[in-house]
Amino acid sequence: MATEALGEERPALFLRKATGLVRGWSVRDSMIYACLSTNVVTLGIYEFSYQSFIPKGQLLTSVLVSAVWVSFLVVAYAGLIVTIPRAGGDYVWQTRILGSGIGFVMAATGWWFILWLWAPIYGNVLSAEFFQPLAAELGHPGAATWFAGHNGIFLVSLITIVLAGVLVSIGMAGYARIQKWCFYGGLVGFGIIVILLLVSSKSSFVSSFNTEAHKIFGVSNAYAATNAGAVKSGYVSPAFGFSPLGASMLLIPMMMFYLLWPNWGSTLYGEIRGASDFKRVFRGMFFGLWITVALSVVFLLLIAKTFGNDFYNNSNALYWSAYYGGKVAPAIPIWPYPVMFVSWMVHNTVFQIVLILIMSLWFFGWVGTLFLSSTRVIFAAAFDRILPDRAAEVSEKRKVPLYSLVLMLLPAVGLSALYAYWSKFYTYTLDATLVIAVTYLFSAIAVVILPFRKPELWAASPASKIKIFGVPVVPVAGVVTIGLLGFNLYEWLSNSAYGVNGRGSLYYMLAMYVLAVAIYVVARLVRRRQGIDLGLINKEIPVE
Amino acid sequence: MTRSRGARCVRKAWVVGLKVFFATDIHGSEICWRKFLNAASFYKADLVVLGGDVTGKVMVPITEHNGYWQVVLGGEKVRLDTREELADVERKIRNRGSYPAVMSPDELTELSKEEGAVDRRFSVEMIASLDRWLDMADGKLKGGEIPCILNGGNDDIWEIDSVIESSPCVTFGEGKLVDLDGFHLVSMGWTNPTPWDTFREAPEEELAAKIEAVANLVPDMERAVFNFHAPPYGTGLDEAPALDATLRPIHGGAVMKPVGSTAVRDAIVRYQPMLSVHGHIHESRGVKKMGRTLAINPGSVYGDGVLQGALLELNAKKGKVTKYLLVNG
Repeated sequence: MATEALGEERPALFLRKATGLVRGWSVRDSMIYACLSTNVVTLGIYEFSYQSFIPKGQLLTSVLVSAVWVSFLVVAYAGLIVTIPRAGGDYVWQTRILGSGIGFVMAATGWWFILWLWAPIYGNVLSAEFFQPLAAELGHPGAATWFAGHNGIFLVSLITIVLAGVLVSIGMAGYARIQKWCFYGGLVGFGIIVILLLVSSKSSFVSSFNTEAHKIFGVSNAYAATNAGAVKSGYVSPAFGFSPLGASMLLIPMMMFYLLWPNWGSTLYGEIRGASDFKRVFRGMFFGLWITVALSVVFLLLIAKTFGNDFYNNSNALYWSAYYGGKVAPAIPIWPYPVMFVSWMVHNTVFQIVLILIMSLWFFGWVGTLFLSSTRVIFAAAFDRILPDRAAEVSEKRKVPLYSLVLMLLPAVGLSALYAYWSKFYTYTLDATLVIAVTYLFSAIAVVILPFRKPELWAASPASKIKIFGVPVVPVAGVVTIGLLGFNLYEWLSNSAYGVNGRGSLYYMLAMYVLAVAIYVVARLVRRRQGIDLGLINKEIPVE
Repeated sequence: MTRSRGARCVRKAWVVGLKVFFATDIHGSEICWRKFLNAASFYKADLVVLGGDVTGKVMVPITEHNGYWQVVLGGEKVRLDTREELADVERKIRNRGSYPAVMSPDELTELSKEEGAVDRRFSVEMIASLDRWLDMADGKLKGGEIPCILNGGNDDIWEIDSVIESSPCVTFGEGKLVDLDGFHLVSMGWTNPTPWDTFREAPEEELAAKIEAVANLVPDMERAVFNFHAPPYGTGLDEAPALDATLRPIHGGAVMKPVGSTAVRDAIVRYQPMLSVHGHIHESRGVKKMGRTLAINPGSVYGDGVLQGALLELNAKKGKVTKYLLVNG
């Protein structure tokens, strides 16, 4: 048997009229989804503010290295999606390739339990990028600082949970339209910021910043005070550039907080495939990721030019230093939202408010998907009889998945309270990334062993045809992805700078895995007593 | 081959319970068909039911040349030098749910040009394949000892009906009441209209009339099983990606919408059979309790060579489904 490239015009196959023969999805749509998942504003800018935890690390370098590395994850996931194109993503792939138990534990922890923690994280971002700056721009500094406090964060987390719950209930149809307009609106807002940063000099920014900071917070000479405060707190900003590489590499585990999610839509993709789908799936995620990276690079370069790199890092460092008990108070008592600072370059309150509102589209275009994948996992586990049947019930009248919402929302409320009122728990923020990374790790392992575990399925997959020098690219990308996730997991678990390797954090994460294993074991036992063997779910029927 | 029309080989059920394996929408996948035939012994089921859409959607031409064959697989032209290689490629094509069609290069050219020629060749390949499948069934189902009910779906051409009818060991379910000694199964392979204008589609009113016709055959709804290809509307068993006017999934395939039948839904609500099994929407694997009725769509991933199905235990005394499990066999 020999293969060669196609050269003639005769048809290679015929299709007859039949259900489900649809065209491939639009690359633009999946790109928007991937771009909003790796959200430069809500997640990226927020995470940049933690640079001082690796004081010598260069944001620009870490963003670029992270993106190159995550691109391999995109290839690996594109391979899984086109080989087993099922809604459910990691849950389906892992149960099919690695086994039911592993699939359930990884999906339950990575796509359900840990999303409880994402609720207050999103709430915190909403507070920092919406309520706090809006209150400030409206001339209510007291309200702005209230939103930055325990009660404010808790209230906004509850608002976030309710918002996400309502959006799950109304379904994606209406929300997807909103999402698209939010993306375009957010880009317009970003464009305005780019223009303002581009045309303004550093001196005019300093002057505007001092004027508005005095007007709103009554602080004199806030720019210099911020820089002096940072120095007093012991922080020294690195000079803007690319090196040192080592310290910048240590920022990668932080950058995963926003760059690890170009494949977020993979749980939603259904049975839509075609010969060219690998490229289509890959492009959607890849361009989504790299648009985010491009926006990040532009943002960091312009901030360095107009704000001054030192000032940007100092304002962030000083805020977090004070938050975690440092003695030097920041000149601006709320989270130093760069968009708010840019808006201050136009001395017009209406403009300032409008810019904050436009940029909040990055948040509102994404928050609706917070619990979307959790619902899918809960439903799939209920259909597999691992969870009680009720977990997948949808009320006839209102079409609301009541029980699954309870399973998602109630724990999220509890964790929001912990997050808001217990500062130690606040340091567990990166647990939210770590646990999902573990789930991804098992999918990366699945993609590497796929050609051996399911050789016929692999041979028939468009992914197996993607080769460089005769070597299949997808499993190799899986190995590189394992390297990426392994590196991050090692750093998270061994380096205290990330705040997740303390005993409390480890117990918290361990509890999630124990809960998932317990649910699975109890389900097996209960169902066995009912005469139902869950071991049959993925047992292959012999062919001959 | 020809078959004499045999009596329905549905054996007497258990006095109390009946273990049923239900699968659907295998769309020409030979590996799924082989698994379906083995499902009864694998799951220790008393009865196997295939809910429709038996035939495939894709035909792969293999051109025959002087001493070798050529085929395009996964975008690559493959030359086959031996009959063993040819047989292996044909097996792989069949396992994916496609039909290998060996022909001369001239035939292939004609096929592409002549109107209706592709459909005619499709029919020939579909019937030949189904015939072969039913031959396999004769052996695997122990000459009718294991009852097997087959039905057409909206994607199946009309010609398959008579082929299935003629099988001595498979019962063609469409429009009939199949008495399972205590349980009553009625089947309907029609669906509400789709964007693809397939074979067995009808407006909802017509569908309701067809359902009423088969439902009227049932003597006792307490022990009735509906085997309707179309899932009930708005139940979560009928969620498909929303499409735009050019049949492109909107919003990256993330937006689903209900596309099931309101007539099927109304019939379940009205008649309340103990069980209602469905297919048609492959990605909508799920279970829904509708009053006393358990409605199930096991979904389909035939392209992966995995046979999704539902294992069901029916209890005649209680008139209900006592156990169910969705499996990926």
